[in-house]
Amino acid sequence: MATPPPNILVVEDDRETRALIAKYLRTNACNVTTAADGREMVRAMTDHRVDLLILDVMLPGEDGLSLCRKVRAESQMPIIMLTARGEDVDRILGLEMGADDYLAKPFNPRELLARINAVLRRQAAAQAASAVNGATALNFLGWRIDFRLRELRNPAGARVAMTSAEFDLLRIFCERPGRVLSRESLLDLTQGRNAGSFERSIDVLVSRIRRKIESDPRDATMIKTVRSGGYMFTPTVDAV
Amino acid sequence: MPAQARSILRLLGFLNLRGISGQIAALVVASFIAIHLIITATFFLLRPDQPNPSGGGHSQLIASIQLLGAAPAAQRPRLIADIARAFPRLGVASLAPGSVAPAAGDPDEPGLRSLHRRLGGNYRLFSLAPGQDAHRIGITLPDGAMISARILPGQWRHWFWGEPWMITLLFVIISLTLLGLWAARALTAPLSSFAKAAESFSLNGAAAPLPERGPEEIRSVARALNRMRERITALIDDRTRLLAAISHDLRTPITRLRLRSEFIEDAVHRTQMLRDLDQMRSMLEAVLSFLRNDGNLEPMTLIDIATTLQLVSDQFADTGCKVAYDGPAHAMVTGRPDDLHRAITNLVENAVRFGAEATIHLETSPRAMTIEVEDNGPGIADARKEMVLEPFVRGDDARNMDEAAGFGLGLSIARAIVVAHGGKLTLNDRQPHGLIVRIELPTQEQHHASSDGGR
Repeated sequence: MATPPPNILVVEDDRETRALIAKYLRTNACNVTTAADGREMVRAMTDHRVDLLILDVMLPGEDGLSLCRKVRAESQMPIIMLTARGEDVDRILGLEMGADDYLAKPFNPRELLARINAVLRRQAAAQAASAVNGATALNFLGWRIDFRLRELRNPAGARVAMTSAEFDLLRIFCERPGRVLSRESLLDLTQGRNAGSFERSIDVLVSRIRRKIESDPRDATMIKTVRSGGYMFTPTVDAV
Repeated sequence: MPAQARSILRLLGFLNLRGISGQIAALVVASFIAIHLIITATFFLLRPDQPNPSGGGHSQLIASIQLLGAAPAAQRPRLIADIARAFPRLGVASLAPGSVAPAAGDPDEPGLRSLHRRLGGNYRLFSLAPGQDAHRIGITLPDGAMISARILPGQWRHWFWGEPWMITLLFVIISLTLLGLWAARALTAPLSSFAKAAESFSLNGAAAPLPERGPEEIRSVARALNRMRERITALIDDRTRLLAAISHDLRTPITRLRLRSEFIEDAVHRTQMLRDLDQMRSMLEAVLSFLRNDGNLEPMTLIDIATTLQLVSDQFADTGCKVAYDGPAHAMVTGRPDDLHRAITNLVENAVRFGAEATIHLETSPRAMTIEVEDNGPGIADARKEMVLEPFVRGDDARNMDEAAGFGLGLSIARAIVVAHGGKLTLNDRQPHGLIVRIELPTQEQHHASSDGGR
């Protein structure tokens, strides 16, 4: 990657876990600062430039959810929540508090890295993107994609089941309607090229998304294949 | 008198009317008293020992005999003639002295005995020699003269077997028997309700405690059972909390191990370690989702279940398993998306563990939705089908904890999730071999009602 290494702040109360996450991220080209609780987090954020926050939910003193809400109230800094509780309620709460993504412990470190890259790229892309920039949910042809809750609902209001990768790809499409996107740029925008085993062929992901949103997946009208080697999202997209 | 009253009270206290023994004793005593009262009343109302005032022949016969006995011997022929004229049915006639020999002793027919009693000791009755009219008897008057008369048939026996008081007695016995049966049932009904309650006692369901009513013994049994139930529930809760705490706490070391394993240089070792850690993680997740308390339920929402099934089959296909989805592209149902995803994932996990490939079928009808997860493995014997739905039971006992085996919670979690959606999960045989796990979910309209009621 040509971009400078991202500055990541890891807030985690378990000393060893904190050190291991830091070590792992450093070996994968990140600058890492660590904090054990909310107070250290605030100090670290004033002392260093932070591009992304990794926040454990269970923290001594002020918990991760309330820290997340505070940070979100002041900035658009990307936040990935970690929790020892795999409860769906936690996930929903965390995403509603403004977290960009969520990982349940014990997590796969490569997945953490992939999510970090995805969130950072999304952030960078969103800043350069169009009018839909900053919206938490978008509408297209009656469909509604909610970035905070990470869910897609069809025109009937039913939630459509998607993997994280499918959702991220659809999000990229929705944020760039009417533009031809090459497979390479899509791969860059979703996971980064060095994202290891989570890399799925863009074509497979597109065909899976089509099966879920197109009325006839074989004659796609929403995500069109462009002959020169890419895809284009055709519907008009409105911010909610 | 006060001393007597006290002793009666003591007796009642000993009988303990609040207990079953006391109540049964009281029931028996009350039945005896009731029978006695009814028989006495019947007796005094009907007076079977007294001449029946409207009895016709019987009373006429007695009156005639007494009249003849009291009359001077000279007037008897005339009286006999008068009586014969007035009551021809009695057939009163004089017997010449010596024409018959009075049989020794008293007549033993009950009818005659009663007639004799009513006539008084001065009269004697005897049977006439056989060959004559069977109903004709001889009577010796106080002065030794003998007459004969006809007893009207049916007059004697009827009052014993056919009279109303006998019918009343039968009626009373039958009704008391029925009453007794009913009362005994009322006393023991709580016992059968206990049996039912004990049978339906489940650890996750919050069944109402047993009602503490009825006789003292029953109430104390109900109290004891309720206390026992509370203790069992508390025990299970403690263990659940313990298991949940252990599982939660294990997440931290597993997270560390997971991170550390990324620094292992040897690729083979790293892969093996990652596989072990993945197994530990999935087992922990199974335990935690099994123990997840109901207060943390995901909210119900409208979902496109077909996309969930596609997603599951894609996820398994990505890891190299042969899992196909066969059904409509879209199907709406109200449910908890992550729970249903987990349930289907568990079923497919089982299917690909025991069979080479799996298929997920979806069929929709206006009333219900049927999801089938089908594998071509060995299947499950009928005898074990119910058992494998229980937690911590694995389909194959001989199977050891290899990389694929879990805790045996998959099916129980899936079933719990389906039941929480108002549906049901059944295990069925596939031909020629294999297992079909069938989930039936009620669709929207019906489901709204049941989910509103359940919350």
